[in-house]
Amino acid sequence: MNLERYVYFNSNDYQDYEFYSEGPKGRIRKLVTFTKITGAESPTYNLAFGDPHPDTGKLDDTVISNNQDRDIVLATVANTITEFCNHHGNHYIYAKGSSPSRTRLYQMGITGLWEEISMDFDVYGLKDNDWQKFKPNSINYEAFLVKRK
Amino acid sequence: MTTIVKNLTIKKGFGPGIVSSKVKSHANDPLVIKKVEEAEQTIQRVGLPGQKIK
Repeated sequence: MNLERYVYFNSNDYQDYEFYSEGPKGRIRKLVTFTKITGAESPTYNLAFGDPHPDTGKLDDTVISNNQDRDIVLATVANTITEFCNHHGNHYIYAKGSSPSRTRLYQMGITGLWEEISMDFDVYGLKDNDWQKFKPNSINYEAFLVKRK
Repeated sequence: MTTIVKNLTIKKGFGPGIVSSKVKSHANDPLVIKKVEEAEQTIQRVGLPGQKIK
């Protein structure tokens, strides 16, 4: 991928990542965490993405930042997937928004960057209990699986 | 006079991150635990791409 992305920081086990979104709403800290999902036939990790809660510091994926940098944020998250795979292997990464509208927002983001994303990743969308190859501008998916090529 | 502002926080293309001891694990955050449980249930129900669930 040759997209603009934020500089990011990671834990020494390459499972947790942080970066700052920058825009009209200011500088907003973002968190990405990869957690292994047990019971899957192949190693699969959940990707959780959000802001730290202002009081607890815990990851919160319900915040709507509207910082007008969606593509840069998504490219940065994609970059963390690549970095995660560099250290943990090319496994399935599962992602789902906190609500159907947030999942739809993720889908719009993937669609917007599809030309670049599809070069590096196989992407699947969940629809009616079936994983389908991701097609931009098609049906609304319920969750996503991503695997680096 | 033209001022050139160089944004040091945006890069182009893939690059490694900066390892930092300040980046803490969020694996045990309540929301992350909940999302992982939901993901496990979904994967157990529908499997992975190309996998037939018995």
